[in-house]
Amino acid sequence: MSMIESAGQARKALPITARVQLAMLAIALVVAFIFPFLASTFILRLVTLALVSALFAMSVDLMAGYAGLVSLGHAGVLGSAMYGVGYVASKTDGGFALQLLVGFAAGIAASVIFGLMAMRSSGVYFILITIAQGMIVWGLATLLVKITGAENGLPGIRRPVVVETEFRYYFVALIVVLVSSVGLFIVVRSPVGFALKGLRESETRMRMLGHNTTWLKFQMFMLSGFFATIAGILLVYLNEFVNPTDVIIASSALPVLMSILGGIGTLIGPFIGAFVVVFLRNYVSLEIDRWQSIMGLTFIFVVLFARDGLIGAVKKHWYKYLDSKGSGPAALAATEMAAPPLQSG
Amino acid sequence: MTEAAVEAEHVVVDSVVRDRIRVLIITLAIAIPLIAWTLTQMSTLAFFTQILNGLSFGALLFFLASGFTMIFGLMRIANLAHGGFYLMGGYVGITTTLVTGQFWLGLLAGGLVISCLGLFVERILLRRIRGMEKPEVLLTIGLTFVIGDFSLAVWGGDPRQIEKPEYLKGAFQIGDSFFYPKYRLFVLALAILLGSFLFYIDRKTKIGAIVRAGVDDRETVAAMGINIKAVFTGAFIFGAFIAGMSGVIGAGFLSLLPGEDFVILLFALVVVIIGGLGSLEGAALGAVVVGLIDAFAKALVPELSFFTLFAPMAIILMVRPNGLLGRAS
Repeated sequence: MSMIESAGQARKALPITARVQLAMLAIALVVAFIFPFLASTFILRLVTLALVSALFAMSVDLMAGYAGLVSLGHAGVLGSAMYGVGYVASKTDGGFALQLLVGFAAGIAASVIFGLMAMRSSGVYFILITIAQGMIVWGLATLLVKITGAENGLPGIRRPVVVETEFRYYFVALIVVLVSSVGLFIVVRSPVGFALKGLRESETRMRMLGHNTTWLKFQMFMLSGFFATIAGILLVYLNEFVNPTDVIIASSALPVLMSILGGIGTLIGPFIGAFVVVFLRNYVSLEIDRWQSIMGLTFIFVVLFARDGLIGAVKKHWYKYLDSKGSGPAALAATEMAAPPLQSG
Repeated sequence: MTEAAVEAEHVVVDSVVRDRIRVLIITLAIAIPLIAWTLTQMSTLAFFTQILNGLSFGALLFFLASGFTMIFGLMRIANLAHGGFYLMGGYVGITTTLVTGQFWLGLLAGGLVISCLGLFVERILLRRIRGMEKPEVLLTIGLTFVIGDFSLAVWGGDPRQIEKPEYLKGAFQIGDSFFYPKYRLFVLALAILLGSFLFYIDRKTKIGAIVRAGVDDRETVAAMGINIKAVFTGAFIFGAFIAGMSGVIGAGFLSLLPGEDFVILLFALVVVIIGGLGSLEGAALGAVVVGLIDAFAKALVPELSFFTLFAPMAIILMVRPNGLLGRAS
């Protein structure tokens, strides 16, 4: 089959895929706005947590999936924002606006520092540096008793009265996460987003083409850090509490797990992964007290056998189905659209 | 050799020497004012105590970092499970020592059990994803969670220490008024021994030559009829052995408790980030630097003792993204 023919077939197949995607998105939105009226507070809280985790996971995936730079210390950014809010709420008499401001400033400041430190490295070195960054935030959280309250954390964080109930806070989180998702969608389709993908494919080639990859990585940190900061602020008001467990390395590894489980290098992947992980964690914890093992084993399993994640599996079967009907994309289109392999770069 | 080639070689050697000198100058420029300031903060005696504290902790870090850096140099695997190996090895050593009453048996058992674990990890798990950098790293961090949780289930959450033999208990007297724990001096001596042994193996033996060649060019080594897979497995097991053993050693003067796996991993990572990944000298240099910084930070600014690792790491990364003695990738 010639290339032109197969490309033509791909074009014919695409609208079906796009239509299905749009329909699913619409259904998801309708469900998201209707189900809170039917669900229990407990489930509602869990879904809110999943939404916030999804935003955090997407911010990590912007680096890990799109740019191919895996951060295992991003809870440091999330946690800085949480501690910023917590400090003002717990140790001073600052109002909601000041809490937001300090939380935001703390998250962005952490992103800037992290970015400056890691922007010149790549590959494994990048991972090691980000682990160290996350761990150092954890170290500060456990040791700076006067500011962070150490193991006791910072109690006394309260949501504003208007959105006090779990029901109302769910809608706040939903809308913020939706708007942020649109923002991320725009980012990954912007020139910067494409440049990040180029970074994943070959940093050397990007440099040869005249891109300043160091600056590009700093931009990536800022963009990702911005969304992680938003997630942190949402999370701290959801929990109304922050302590060092929010910044342990497991908190940084979870969004990476969510991304790979759902499908790394996509936005919907981390979203789905976040829901799977949050619900899995909740129900596993009800049965046995071995969540850490389950998480570790899931990590190993996914890395060994399912690197394309759920989205990759669905795509594979969807294309197979389309192929069987004669309208499927040929090999050319399939390789172009399949989830990017994790091992590149 | 032609004249031009000789000249070119000179230029290369010169640039290496100049590079090392630059590293030295940077280190001194940071160290001297810090030392001067430190001396104004504490007595000379306390200063030397902290130096020894730093060196003995650095010795422990060298155990871990040397295995980590060797595995990385050879296989390009950043084995994050090294922290888990340390923790579990220490626990195994504690239990063995409790049962047999022999410290040295505990040391051996910690190393051996962990090298068996290392064999399993390398042969069964990592082999399936050989060459894929990021999946390898992610697999080892997943493994650390499993090992940590397993250790918690078996040994519980209370801080544990190992029962030291009589002759390593108590303090060693230097001069009239200077006392220092024997055990820490023992750790320091052990590290110097291991360091010399590793350097000897690395520089003077055939195994060392194979390993160094493997670091530079795996394909060519394999093409020359050396079973590179066996070398990989051997290196991984050896690294795991040192990690397990260092857990037992660490249990003699630090406490083992859940979460300690990641704390020690952080220190080991900072050591290799500062020293340069894949370089044995780098591991030694980084271990000394990090050990000293940590000891003085704990004495002077205890609340910031993690943060003090951050600053030197940041400075070094800005000047030299591959670490002090790391080669450009």
